[in-house]
Amino acid sequence: MPPTAGLGLKSQHYAEALAAEDEGLWFEVHPENYMAAGGPRLRWLEAIRAKHPLSLHGVGLSLAADADPDPTHLQALKALADRFEPFVVSEHLAWSAWRGVHQPDLLPFPRTQAALDRIAANIGRTQDVLGRTILVENPSLYLPLTGHAFDEIDFLAELVRRTGCGLLVDVNNVFVSASNLGYVAEAYLDALPAEAIGEIHLAGHGADEGGSILLIDTHGAPVAEAVWTLYRRLIDRVGPCPTLIERDDDIPAFDVLMAERDRAHGMLTGTGACACPQPLTAEPADV
Amino acid sequence: MSELQRFQDAFVAALAQRSVAPIAGWLPEGEDQPAGLAVYRNTIAKGCVDALAANFPTVASLVGDDWFRAAAALFAVEHPPAGAALLAYGEAFADWLARFPPADDLPYLPAMARLDRMWTTALFAPEADALDAEAFALPSDALAAARPRLHPSLAFAWFDSGLPGLWLAARQPDPGEMTLHEDPQGVLIVRPEDTVHSRLLDAAGFAFLAAARDGASLGEAIAAAAQADPAADLATLFAALIADGVFVGLDLGDPA
Repeated sequence: MPPTAGLGLKSQHYAEALAAEDEGLWFEVHPENYMAAGGPRLRWLEAIRAKHPLSLHGVGLSLAADADPDPTHLQALKALADRFEPFVVSEHLAWSAWRGVHQPDLLPFPRTQAALDRIAANIGRTQDVLGRTILVENPSLYLPLTGHAFDEIDFLAELVRRTGCGLLVDVNNVFVSASNLGYVAEAYLDALPAEAIGEIHLAGHGADEGGSILLIDTHGAPVAEAVWTLYRRLIDRVGPCPTLIERDDDIPAFDVLMAERDRAHGMLTGTGACACPQPLTAEPADV
Repeated sequence: MSELQRFQDAFVAALAQRSVAPIAGWLPEGEDQPAGLAVYRNTIAKGCVDALAANFPTVASLVGDDWFRAAAALFAVEHPPAGAALLAYGEAFADWLARFPPADDLPYLPAMARLDRMWTTALFAPEADALDAEAFALPSDALAAARPRLHPSLAFAWFDSGLPGLWLAARQPDPGEMTLHEDPQGVLIVRPEDTVHSRLLDAAGFAFLAAARDGASLGEAIAAAAQADPAADLATLFAALIADGVFVGLDLGDPA
């Protein structure tokens, strides 16, 4: 069975991930956490990869910085991709590294023509070095930046057109960004080029502890019902797509995450094993 | 400089200054206090602090979460990560703690950070198969002349007081009362397979490893150990190092 719904692989779940037998289950890691010369986590990843499909989801390549991707980082990413043969490699429409300093976050930028040219070049360079295409994830946004020459959908579509990259649609980021910047999440999702979508992320969000009305993409809570509804809307239009339940903070037990995973799996395979109000239209059964 | 570069410089300045003034040109008029800048700032701080907490667990357990996270946040401002692989973050932390005034009454703390750093470095070191005892079943002349190759994860150090003992005690599940003993002692850290192994090292053991690291033969290294401590039980010392998994090869050199 091809990959259906997967989980972010956390070290406290290595043994359970290895033991899991669920059809279509896959795992995703940040390659940055495996950029080491050796050690037990690499051996765990090898064992888990021998059994399940793997996705590499980079956070540090800094595609949107006005600089070439760091060659050392790119080579380390290539080495991991060559060794672990992931079914997908992805990164973010954001920057993090700048002038020798790495900020562990995904930072925004004005979507100008020059930015488009730079990011297309960076994606092209990355794909050349890796010898494969990558997916680019839509960001979660917190500032109403001005100076955009493109809306985000057009910007992403242009990157797809120019580089042949695909899209990783983070539905929670769509929800959070739409809420924070005052646009309509449904309209954004409806406008995404379906054929470019290679993966979907679902994650939880939270309120801003600083007291503002912003929603924060915390990855520290279950996926909200509103996000499940948006996910349903997306896959009804674009069809099944490998979907990740992304949890990076307040990590619960493995089976708690698997329950969310199973809900997505059910929606993708039309087995209806969930409390969804509208079951996915399944293939007509033979009568 | 391109506009994107200017924006990036301005954004970094805005984060540092906790002010949107540097990026005012890219915000709507009147947007003086956007909460979003603090969101990015907090996420960056949390990422750095979480990585330091993971990489310096003994320090964190000795000073408690609140003190650790506050200190780590200050360190992160002065020494932000140089790369995206945060498993390597914190190279400068031990030295920084030694100059951090709130740690003045915790003089053991920088050494705890240094040992945590050695441990983490060992955890992520390259793989190599350790030799077992059979590999050393050689005629004594050949054995004495053989130059040992050491495991890439091996780290060892000597301290002027019982800091390694304090570190090992602090890492136990229920350390309770801990004492810093006065006598100098060493520490050995190695990861021959999947687990990092750390233990105290006496003067003879330290001298042996220091000589071996300098390219000495086994005979020369044993002699260095005996010189450091004439009372040392050399056979036990050697057997313990084999059991630790510190040796990955023996260079027997050219036949006579």
